[in-house]
Amino acid sequence: MTFAASSTVPTVAAVAADLTAVDDPVERQRFTRWVPQPSGGRLAESSLQLSGLHCAACAGLIEQALRATPGVQRASVSAASQRALVLWDPELTQASRLITAVRGAGYDAAPDAAAPARALRRHEARQALWRLFVAGFCSMQIMMLATPAYVAGPGELAPDTRALLNWASWLLALPVMLFSAGPFFSGAWRGLRRRRIGMDVPVALGIGIAFVASSGATFDPQGPFGAEVWFDSLSMFVAFVLGARWLEMRQRHRAAEALEASLARLPETAWRVAEDGQAEAVAAHRLRPGDTVRVPHGEPFPADGRLLDGGTRVDEALLSGESTPRERHVGDTVLAGSVNLGAPVRVRVERVGADTRFEAIVAMMKSAADERPGAAALADRWAGPFLWAVLLLAALAGAAWSFIEPSRALSVAVAVLIVTCPCALSLAAPATLVAASQALLRRGIGLGRLAAIEGLARAGRVFFDKTGTLTLDTMQLATTRLTDAGRAAFGDGLAGETAALATAAALAAHSNHPLARALAAAAPAHAAAWSDVQEHAGQGLSARDAEGQRWQLGSPRWLAAEGSAEAHSRVALACEGTLLAGFEFEETLRPGAREAVQALHEAGMKITLLSGDEAGRAHALAARLGIAEVIAGATPESKLAAVAAAQARGERVMMVGDGVNDAPVLARADVSVALASGAGVARAQADAVLASGDLRDLARARAIAARALAIVRQNLVWASLYNALCIPLAVVGWLPPWAAGIGMAASSLLVVLNAARAAR
Amino acid sequence: MDILFLLIPLSAVLILFIVGVFGWAVTSGQFDEIEDEAERILTREPPGA
Repeated sequence: MTFAASSTVPTVAAVAADLTAVDDPVERQRFTRWVPQPSGGRLAESSLQLSGLHCAACAGLIEQALRATPGVQRASVSAASQRALVLWDPELTQASRLITAVRGAGYDAAPDAAAPARALRRHEARQALWRLFVAGFCSMQIMMLATPAYVAGPGELAPDTRALLNWASWLLALPVMLFSAGPFFSGAWRGLRRRRIGMDVPVALGIGIAFVASSGATFDPQGPFGAEVWFDSLSMFVAFVLGARWLEMRQRHRAAEALEASLARLPETAWRVAEDGQAEAVAAHRLRPGDTVRVPHGEPFPADGRLLDGGTRVDEALLSGESTPRERHVGDTVLAGSVNLGAPVRVRVERVGADTRFEAIVAMMKSAADERPGAAALADRWAGPFLWAVLLLAALAGAAWSFIEPSRALSVAVAVLIVTCPCALSLAAPATLVAASQALLRRGIGLGRLAAIEGLARAGRVFFDKTGTLTLDTMQLATTRLTDAGRAAFGDGLAGETAALATAAALAAHSNHPLARALAAAAPAHAAAWSDVQEHAGQGLSARDAEGQRWQLGSPRWLAAEGSAEAHSRVALACEGTLLAGFEFEETLRPGAREAVQALHEAGMKITLLSGDEAGRAHALAARLGIAEVIAGATPESKLAAVAAAQARGERVMMVGDGVNDAPVLARADVSVALASGAGVARAQADAVLASGDLRDLARARAIAARALAIVRQNLVWASLYNALCIPLAVVGWLPPWAAGIGMAASSLLVVLNAARAAR
Repeated sequence: MDILFLLIPLSAVLILFIVGVFGWAVTSGQFDEIEDEAERILTREPPGA
């Protein structure tokens, strides 16, 4: 993807000034679909792209803000995909009011069409990078300025030099606090205003108190805050957390870009043919049902419709994962997003914008992602209780000391708040998950969402799609059977079967039929002098050999009609009307599928085959792979229902699939894996993509994820151990501030280094 | 060590200046497409080829 020069790209500010355009009916159609109501009216369902979300709790705040807007019936916000889905009444409100409401809550929103979303993303990426750089660069300088205080012996550092170093550290810590740590403070403030406590609140409290106490120590060393400064630990901590968030953000953006890239298959302009036959270029979203459009060779169809003239071939790979082009004739339906590979054609438009099949699949997929069962971030669950415990402890320590020695009460309470700054605690999970995602990437598994690692490690049931996932879309020869006449002609046993197969393969090499290709591939190339080779469409091949005998290879029914006996095989071989051999075929297993199923079984997972194919073939394949549970004949809706039912039973579900019909299920499952060869929409929706196409990677990925989760637990234990040791010391006033500072930095470093083990 | 009283404030100001320059570089989009620059040699024809 390339960007135009920055001057031509709309900035976020320009989008913000242009809210009225959002209410224009034609513009609105780009991000809104209409839901008819039983009462006769209709509601609008709009999709908004959000920015500024840091944690799962933010999603709740935006939902509240949207629901509080008059006319909004339902609002659901997905923190993972940063999208809001709003059902609203066009009689009572307007699309621009929704965006205003989100902005009022302190976040930003744009209609979920690609361009403004991209501008928002770029703005967010630049901000995050700048914040990270300021924090990282300044914390390095502050550490240098802090070193003398750590290494100097008693009395070696003159008080005025110490004051100078502290003053310089304070100056450099200012940008870190005011700019880099801004998201923590705004996040904490938003949380407090809505009475929801995320990890931002204890973090903001910890670094805020540390900064205030250090500033007090800098400018008034004899004051109530004591003479010690913590600028180095707090700026390093801010840099660590921002680093983890930045990596997480990049991963999120990459997943969003992949989705947009597959949506970009819809053309921006279309050629509308007027009554007089003149074609004019119009924006694709201005097309109306009933319009006639001309689609040139090699371009995607802008809308769903029917062919008015001619015939062509279309590539529907994006929609079905099926890579062979399909034939389309006059009156046939063509789908938006598929590509016209044959001749230029004219199409009568039937459905446009959000009503097309393509958009319907995308909408189903997005709403499935929003309804994913609650996966609040690991650390956020503990933030509330942790905060109250810390505040209580600090208050108790301060109260106790005000009786013992009132002059030290404030400094003890501050020390408790500083040592309990949940630095290591809030780094424990993200640092490890980022490291593990790098390990997965090196093994060819790309993650779209960091939280998927938890799902990967904890999933108890795997749903496998069949065609394209467990099997390739080709057939292979399973068995060769000789008739009595065949045994007489070719010989007995294996040698006879091989000879029959060689003859059949040589004949099959003349056809492109999938079964013929499978037959030809089953035997080594064998030059035979066939003459008068004829292909009978849908029936088989006939040819004459060097002696002039007439051979036939094809469907047994065709051979029977020509005088051969009836047989049960898919393909039969006959000579001069006598049936000699029959061939059975089976679906080709994806390499490694059997081992992958076995490895997952051994890891204690339950496996279900979830196939849209008919029951017989699905069960046959399940038996070959050793899969006990099979759901056959499934539609996208019933696949979704099967996964939802398993989740309702309390199981954590992994889905492995490749087609667009799998996309909604991939979005709904706790963790989803798509194959790199699959449909674009499925890949974009999955949490992880298997680049190698080797299913054995699933078991490896699970092992890496399980190890990462174990490391997260170690980190949490270490972080709480540090807090458990230091809090009593701080409460009784025995913890020297330098020890608190070193302990804080060391516990964060230890957690980061331990997390790095997950990258191996 | 009186020179410290000149050098440390000077370095602090220099650091703030560097942070400002980096901010300008970020907002002018120099870090938007880092991978793109590295991959350009693989994906695009050199001029005049």
